[in-house]
Amino acid sequence: MNARKPTELELALDEALGRALRAPQVPHSFRARLSAAVTRTAGIHWAALREQMENERREQLRRLQREYVRVRRSTIVTLLAAAFAAGAAAMLAMPWLRAHLGSYAPMAVAWSGAALGLGMTFHEPLRALLRRWSNAP
Amino acid sequence: MDAPVSDGTNRDQDIVELPHTGARERAFEALLERYEGKVYRLCCALLRDRSQAEDAAQESLVRVWKALERYDGRAALSSWIYAITRNRCLTALQQRRRHEPAQEPNDDAQQTAQGAAPEPWDGRTEELRGLIETLPERLRRAPLPYYYEERSVSEVACMLGCPEGTAKTTLFRARTALGELLKRRGLDDPAYWREDVS
Repeated sequence: MNARKPTELELALDEALGRALRAPQVPHSFRARLSAAVTRTAGIHWAALREQMENERREQLRRLQREYVRVRRSTIVTLLAAAFAAGAAAMLAMPWLRAHLGSYAPMAVAWSGAALGLGMTFHEPLRALLRRWSNAP
Repeated sequence: MDAPVSDGTNRDQDIVELPHTGARERAFEALLERYEGKVYRLCCALLRDRSQAEDAAQESLVRVWKALERYDGRAALSSWIYAITRNRCLTALQQRRRHEPAQEPNDDAQQTAQGAAPEPWDGRTEELRGLIETLPERLRRAPLPYYYEERSVSEVACMLGCPEGTAKTTLFRARTALGELLKRRGLDDPAYWREDVS
């Protein structure tokens, strides 16, 4: 520890430094700006809420996507099952159909299948069309 | 020359206890009353740029606000606040060095760093400020808060996060370096510096 007596110059310099290095005053607007910043920080709750809602939305979208894939898969399975079932039914019915329709039997089965398929596909539009015709004056 | 040492630990006990009773706002208000100016002055001393110091002080205090409930009292409140402020200032200095490697703080800032309060124009004061600017960064850091905080070495040590002995040594070296500069320029007449400014 340096305990020597300060020189004249050191004392004068200390005085001068005290004059030169005056403490800067906090700007008048500082507290208002700080309050605004703190208020924005308090808005972190809103940010958290938003994040939570976004997470929920993402989860919902994931669920919908899973459901969509499941429906698509079950539709394909149903279609395949229906096609195989129709083929099997046609094979079983073929002897009886040949006995009654002769050489027209395969053609009749094909046309029946096509009519059934078209009927199933255009079932809803056809029903709407029929409803409109029946309501027409 | 040194001001009496303040016992920060006991003095801040009231603020420290408030957040635990749910009065976080009141605690922060009290904290601002006590530390707003000190934080701002520390930022001015470290950054020597008015607008950067204001931004840094604001961000530091916002960080203090955010972390106030988590403050565990292991360090004195003042040390904790100054550590947050120093870290923020060091980040700002690093960013400044990265973006403006050759640029020094602006003139406006220089005025603030050494005291923005309007005062009578005095060539010697400006001369002295210019000389301080020529000191190496490590020596320049201590005198600014020392004179800002009414010559309290303990406050300077707390602000700079170093032992009091280190702060004293840095101040001594800064004064010595300044004395050398004055001698070299032929300005070492005590009367020249003691003369009444007004």
